[in-house]
Amino acid sequence: MTTPSIAKPSDKKAALLWSLSKGHRKLYLFSGLAMVAGSLLSYGQPLIVGAALDYALSAQILSEQTNTQKESRLSLLVVNLMGGPDFVRSNLYLAALAALGITVVSGVLIYLKSKYAAIASEGIAKDLRDKLFDHLQHLPCAYHDKAQTGDLVQRATSDVDTVRLFYSDQIVEVARAITLLLAAIPVLIYLDPILAMVAVSVLPLIVLFALIFFWKVQGAFKKLDEAEGQMTATLQENLTGVRVVRAFARQAFEEERFARANTLHRTLNWKLFKIMAVYWSVSDLLCFLQMALVLIVGAVRVESGAISVGTMVSCLFAAGLYIWPVRQMGRILTELGKAMVAAGRINEVFEQPRETTAAMDLPALQTGRLTFQNVSIRRGETDVLSDVSFELLPGKTVALLGPSGSGKSTVVQILLRLLDPDSGRVLLGETDIQTVSRKSVRANVAAVLQEPFLFSKTVNQNIKLGRHSATDQEAIEVAQAAVVHDSIVRFDKQYETMVGERGVTLSGGQRQRLAIARALLREAPILVLDDALSAVDTHTEASIIEALRSRRDHNDGAQSTLLIAHRLSTLRHADEILVFDHGRIVQRGTHESLLAEPGMYKKLWSIQSELEEDLERETEHAGVSSAAELAVLP
Amino acid sequence: MSSELDEDQKTGRFDRALWLKIFRFILPYKRSAIGLCITAAVVVGCDVAIPLFTGMIVDAVTTPNPDGKALVLWPYLLGYVGTFVVLCVCIWSFIMLAGVINSHVSADIRTAAFSKLQKLQLAYYDRRAVGWLMARLTSDCNTLSRVLAWGTLDIVWGTMVIIGVSISMFILDWRLALLVLTIVPLLVLLARSFQLKLLISSRQMKKTNSLITASFNEGISGVRTTKTMVREGQNLAEFQELTGRMFGSSVRNQMLHAIFIPAVTSVCAIGVALALWRGGVLVLAGEVSLGKLVTFLQYAGFLAGPAQELANTLTMIQNAQASAERVQGLLDEPVTIQDDESVLEPAQAKIDTIEFKDVEFEYLPGQIVLHTFNLTVKSGQTIALVGATGGGKSTIVSLASRFYQPTRGQVLVNGIDYTSLPLLWLQQRMGIVLQQPHLFSGTIRENIRYGKLDATDQQIEAAARLTNATTFIDTLVGKFDAKVGEGGNQLSTGQKQLIALARAVVADPQVFIMDEATSSVDTQAERDIQIAVDRVLKGRISFVIAHRLSTIRGADVILVIDQGKVVERGNHHDLINRRGRYFELYTNQFTQEREEVLMHSS
Repeated sequence: MTTPSIAKPSDKKAALLWSLSKGHRKLYLFSGLAMVAGSLLSYGQPLIVGAALDYALSAQILSEQTNTQKESRLSLLVVNLMGGPDFVRSNLYLAALAALGITVVSGVLIYLKSKYAAIASEGIAKDLRDKLFDHLQHLPCAYHDKAQTGDLVQRATSDVDTVRLFYSDQIVEVARAITLLLAAIPVLIYLDPILAMVAVSVLPLIVLFALIFFWKVQGAFKKLDEAEGQMTATLQENLTGVRVVRAFARQAFEEERFARANTLHRTLNWKLFKIMAVYWSVSDLLCFLQMALVLIVGAVRVESGAISVGTMVSCLFAAGLYIWPVRQMGRILTELGKAMVAAGRINEVFEQPRETTAAMDLPALQTGRLTFQNVSIRRGETDVLSDVSFELLPGKTVALLGPSGSGKSTVVQILLRLLDPDSGRVLLGETDIQTVSRKSVRANVAAVLQEPFLFSKTVNQNIKLGRHSATDQEAIEVAQAAVVHDSIVRFDKQYETMVGERGVTLSGGQRQRLAIARALLREAPILVLDDALSAVDTHTEASIIEALRSRRDHNDGAQSTLLIAHRLSTLRHADEILVFDHGRIVQRGTHESLLAEPGMYKKLWSIQSELEEDLERETEHAGVSSAAELAVLP
Repeated sequence: MSSELDEDQKTGRFDRALWLKIFRFILPYKRSAIGLCITAAVVVGCDVAIPLFTGMIVDAVTTPNPDGKALVLWPYLLGYVGTFVVLCVCIWSFIMLAGVINSHVSADIRTAAFSKLQKLQLAYYDRRAVGWLMARLTSDCNTLSRVLAWGTLDIVWGTMVIIGVSISMFILDWRLALLVLTIVPLLVLLARSFQLKLLISSRQMKKTNSLITASFNEGISGVRTTKTMVREGQNLAEFQELTGRMFGSSVRNQMLHAIFIPAVTSVCAIGVALALWRGGVLVLAGEVSLGKLVTFLQYAGFLAGPAQELANTLTMIQNAQASAERVQGLLDEPVTIQDDESVLEPAQAKIDTIEFKDVEFEYLPGQIVLHTFNLTVKSGQTIALVGATGGGKSTIVSLASRFYQPTRGQVLVNGIDYTSLPLLWLQQRMGIVLQQPHLFSGTIRENIRYGKLDATDQQIEAAARLTNATTFIDTLVGKFDAKVGEGGNQLSTGQKQLIALARAVVADPQVFIMDEATSSVDTQAERDIQIAVDRVLKGRISFVIAHRLSTIRGADVILVIDQGKVVERGNHHDLINRRGRYFELYTNQFTQEREEVLMHSS
């Protein structure tokens, strides 16, 4: 994972976050505009109410005093806009309606802000998920072999969600706090410059406190996460090992073990609550302090006659609007750090190079002709394959035999371009498969791999993965050829039965046979069976092999087969048998020719005679079976 | 997973009986809960007092001063500051008290669920995935404790604020109060209608989200199949349909929130407008002081907070109802295998015979997996069970170890029906080694000691030597103190099987059960183990499920099981000569084992 290119990680993460917003920036702009307008208007209600209080209601009492104050020009302006103090006084409902109207309009704007932000952020999340999914599909198998599924899934789900929150909440909240602040400051300065200064004096302290605090408590959060992990691990071990627990009657021991993890988690959890209690109360205290300062200084200035009560109330209200969003900034900035980490983890996946691809496609082949020419591949110090050459002709079968790890599956992987050889050529028809796109090569090969994967879909859909356009009748035909039709019709919903996590659990043999059916539906010129019959019993295996042969003869004999198996009964009818050992072909020939020479093939064949000898011995001793052993029979 | 989704389907009404049951978990923390209520009351007091102070200040300022004395604002200011300080203290105590409840209740629910899980019969586990059970003790527990601590708090606070503000308004001026409070029914109506919509949309989101996670999982695990089938495009299209659905429901959910909040504010603005209009008239008429009007205006605006909070909390509680149902379902699950009052500790310490008498077993009613089964085993005998997977072999050993109990018939231990013997007495005398050799994270030594908690190091090492595990243990860094990793993933399956065997050996059980216990050990090593196992099994009753010939051949009785029935019974000689099912199994296995040896020796 640690590539040298991540020298300046934060830049890359920020770049990713920025590039993700592409195509959604206009919506954010709208959202921002709606927010600015909405926030400005949200000052409207207090302004109208304040003006009404100052001029229309208290004017009769304090008219002398207030009218002389220049600071109240804004209120005066508002009142004059509504038709002057006297008009407002006699038509108070108009002021009330104006206050209501302005709130509703600002509410609509705030709604628009949230709507655009939601569409933008969810759009970004959707794009990110789609991009990740497609990227993961196109990463080479070598990468997937090393990576852990759980880790990748976590990056694709919870990390994506963290990034989504960054776009949907954090950016918006930060922008809101800044807008509210920027909108309030001119208003405050206009109302009373001195009070304005007081009204923002504690703010830096509030933000700083939050930043330092969350930076400090990260350790406590991490510890809690670890304790939670520990507890979950204990739980999981207990549940997966429930039979072992019961087998040794260790329930009490387990309860004690779990109680330890549980208690530790509880203690740390409680500790964190204690810390958070301090944070929230102190930061609230700071906010209240800010309000109190405005109030006290305001009161002093009202007393000295510098400002009106209405001005003071407006200032208080304005401060109340921005102070809480600003307080959240500290927390949000910390969470921004989490979004950065998540973006970094996602970026690591994106930085993995995809499988290379060629511009040219291999045209669909009519007949299955495959040639391996001096193919070699090394991994570290060991030769996985060295100098492997063979030819598979249309309509023929080549079988590979050998111990596990001798290179048989590597041949298949190279053929499917899941792996590229270091030297040598592989030809499909007349074309070197290295010179054409991987997908076009794979499209010409129908492969059944060692451990076939079935998707959580119905049986029918799983078979049709082979060819989307196939009819139900064709799906049934291939299922019959793979001797799995009879098992399928015994399911409650037959071909509509769900398989996988949310459906029936299939046996290994059923899975393999379903995968064979799926591959047969491909109707590709080359069929590959990589140990695809290992979980199928001998009898069924024979019927499948027979069905494959008759299908091939039926289809003009153009399809060729590459067969990997470990049962001699499966291999013996192949046109050529290649015996692999340590990445080399050590023997090659037909069943008859291989039997005629010394080697592994001959040894394998001789097991049959050993068995006969063994059985012979048992039969000789048959008379001596002891009466004591039979006594347990009913 | 399907069952989980089904349970989410219940849009259901608020289930009071269920919540009462869940609520019991708070009872041990009664004091904290009461403290929380008191704190909430104090906060509400402050919330109600602040607008009053503001009103008083306004009155003090606007009342003409007959004596010409300077305005005395300080008492009011002190009141404010005092209230602020009280509020901060309350916030502190809120979090402390709710924190106590939150952290302790979640731990308590977990403990209760965990100890229930230890008692539940294995049949319960057969029907549920480990991940599903885990979620009950992790996310569900967290959700419930959060709701119990903070949800309760929000409801108490929200209701009290509305009541407090109303009372205060009535005391100040009942006419204005009636006017302003007309918005309360509107708020309630608004909150209720949104709350239901929010509930439905958040459930939809959750469901789609879990489908997306499943798709990622499948896309990654099935990547080879995808590549070889050239399915990338089709997969992406299907995935995009899901993310498209997610986009739709998330935007809908956020828009609901986006409408809800301004809607509540607007309704409150109606209150403000009404107060300003009628209140202004009253002020002008000299019937109400300006200060009182200011107080009313603040109260009207203030109602938005509790209204939003209540709606959100109710949504949260209803969302949590599914969690409550699942957790309570687990706690209420009946334990079918446990000691009843009639059990008697037997005088005899040793198990001499085990007898199956007309035993039948069905997993689900009507699905018989074992038909009328009879067998008597005496001390020193080894019973081998062979046959196809799913035939019923594991059922027989599970019945012997009382993981399951017969649906019909009896299992007699020393002639006594084992349901009248203590469960612990029986299971302490059994040693069971399973095909999936589950190890616990920790060292090899700790894992072997699991069989006998007070085993000495010598006993542990002797057991490991006996089962040939020392051959690989000696090559590890740290030897017996080497960590085995989570689930033993640092070791191969064969190595894990050897440790599991040693773990059973150290327990020195009277009845030994091996269920494919050495299937992943390679053939050569298995022969060595066989010698050890023969030694271990001497003088005990043993049941062996195996496909390796070396294990089966020496058994006293071989039972060939197929589709829940014993199809052949006898020793190796007899069964070979019968040329039936056993003969077929034997010849196949013979070829396979020899081939395996050849392939590996090359």
